Amino acid sequence: MIELRDVSVTYSSGVDALHNVSLKINDGDFAFVVGASGAGKSTMIKLILKEISPTRGSISVNGYNLNRLRRRRIPALRRTIGFVFQDFRLIPSMTVYENVAFVLHVIDSPTKYIRKRVSYVIDLVGLQDKMQAHPDELSGGEMQRVAIARALVNDPQLIIADEPTGNIDPKLSYEIVELLQGINDIGTTILMVTHEHDLVRQFGGRIINIDQGRVVFDEVVGGNLIHEA
Amino acid sequence: MKLSGFKYLVGQGTENIWKNKMMAFASFCVMLVSLLLVGMSVLLYMNLNSMIGGVEDKNEVIVYMDEDTSDEELAEFQTQLEQIDNIGSISFYSKEQAFEDLKENMTDYEMLFDSLEDDNPLIDSFRLRVEDISVISTTISEIGQLDHIYSVRAPMDFVNILTELQKIVSVVFVIVIAALVVISVVIVSNATKASVFMRREEIQIMKYVGATNSFIRIPFFVEGMITGLLAGCVALVITWFGYDSLVELLTGQINILSVIGMGSIISFRSIAWKVVASYLLVGTFFGACGSILSMRKHLNV
Repeated sequence: MIELRDVSVTYSSGVDALHNVSLKINDGDFAFVVGASGAGKSTMIKLILKEISPTRGSISVNGYNLNRLRRRRIPALRRTIGFVFQDFRLIPSMTVYENVAFVLHVIDSPTKYIRKRVSYVIDLVGLQDKMQAHPDELSGGEMQRVAIARALVNDPQLIIADEPTGNIDPKLSYEIVELLQGINDIGTTILMVTHEHDLVRQFGGRIINIDQGRVVFDEVVGGNLIHEA
Repeated sequence: MKLSGFKYLVGQGTENIWKNKMMAFASFCVMLVSLLLVGMSVLLYMNLNSMIGGVEDKNEVIVYMDEDTSDEELAEFQTQLEQIDNIGSISFYSKEQAFEDLKENMTDYEMLFDSLEDDNPLIDSFRLRVEDISVISTTISEIGQLDHIYSVRAPMDFVNILTELQKIVSVVFVIVIAALVVISVVIVSNATKASVFMRREEIQIMKYVGATNSFIRIPFFVEGMITGLLAGCVALVITWFGYDSLVELLTGQINILSVIGMGSIISFRSIAWKVVASYLLVGTFFGACGSILSMRKHLNV
């Protein structure tokens, strides 16, 4: 669960990135966060990952009170979150299998479990025949699937996908969102940040629109319909 | 951390060398050149010092005895000399021996020496070798306090020149070696920084998936350590062969050796363990610490 209460962020440059933002995303939710470039979406992600701290307000994520979270406890928080980057961020020197497996090595999982779980997750994203390939041998859609497998492999409570469809063609974008919805169906909370309104219109669901650092819209809408703020 | 986790990290560090072979090779070369430059300079300094020491050993202090000193008094004098620190060797040079040697050296004056045979004008002396010429004045003043001395002749000009030479060599080499160490540290740290910078994204990804700093550091540490160790090993082999070849080359140069003395050149075997330990430890230390220090700022994600 993510809860932001009256959160404001002002950067040292004086830019107000977020202004009195309050929102709650419950366990098992699927929410789209939309907004133009510079609206404050990335700042919100940084707050949730405890990369930055709010200037004002309080945040709790997956049971962690981020205002009180000590630096050395940040890895523990991040282990409850799977993160999918727009630019995939796979480690080029590692194979698909290794890219996914190293998340489990981070949490010191037993070797047997790693082998079993990684194979299962790679199978789930449909890349079982690419297990030994390196990222430079994969297409954009395939790389994003590996990134999703990596985010999913340690069974996190929450997956944050930051513009996961930004670097792939529109046809594959639908597949990626469908994949995320499938993961949501098994109970994982998904927070997908995007600026692709067409995609959001198509799928519907909870939509949070951020504009100039404020939440201007936060409602559940049906597919093929969006209320512009 | 479990043993399997530790094994994984060590394995990752080893694999990373191969996976990032270009950067690893660059770091290796930089460390190798730095180790060779500093190592060779230290060896050259040690040899120059040893050569100066070899020349230093050729010093000779002559103590001329009073004419009427009896044999018992000479024996007692020698015992007293032996008790003075810093005197390496003592040999007695009798006035009869001195007379014979003089006669041999001046054959043109044989008649003159024949007439003096019953009335030898020379006196007995002791020839001493001082161990540490930098404190020769103290030693001479200690000798001067003994009885039956006519005069003491010490090679003070020789001592002054050698002491000055030693000072100059020490200062020059300390500056050169210190400069080389500083340059090496800067170059090695830049090489490792470049290597870590190339992989900053990898570090960030690890941070985002919840890796602790030690989890991220260990493979870099292992990687740096192995690269440094390899550079140390290769530097050692090059130094060993290079040094031995140079000594062999010098062995054929009789003129040079007659000046510096073969005994002054330090044999590699006599310092081998020191060189091995220095190269391997310094290489490993530089490699490991360089990696760890270079990645500090990338861990703040």
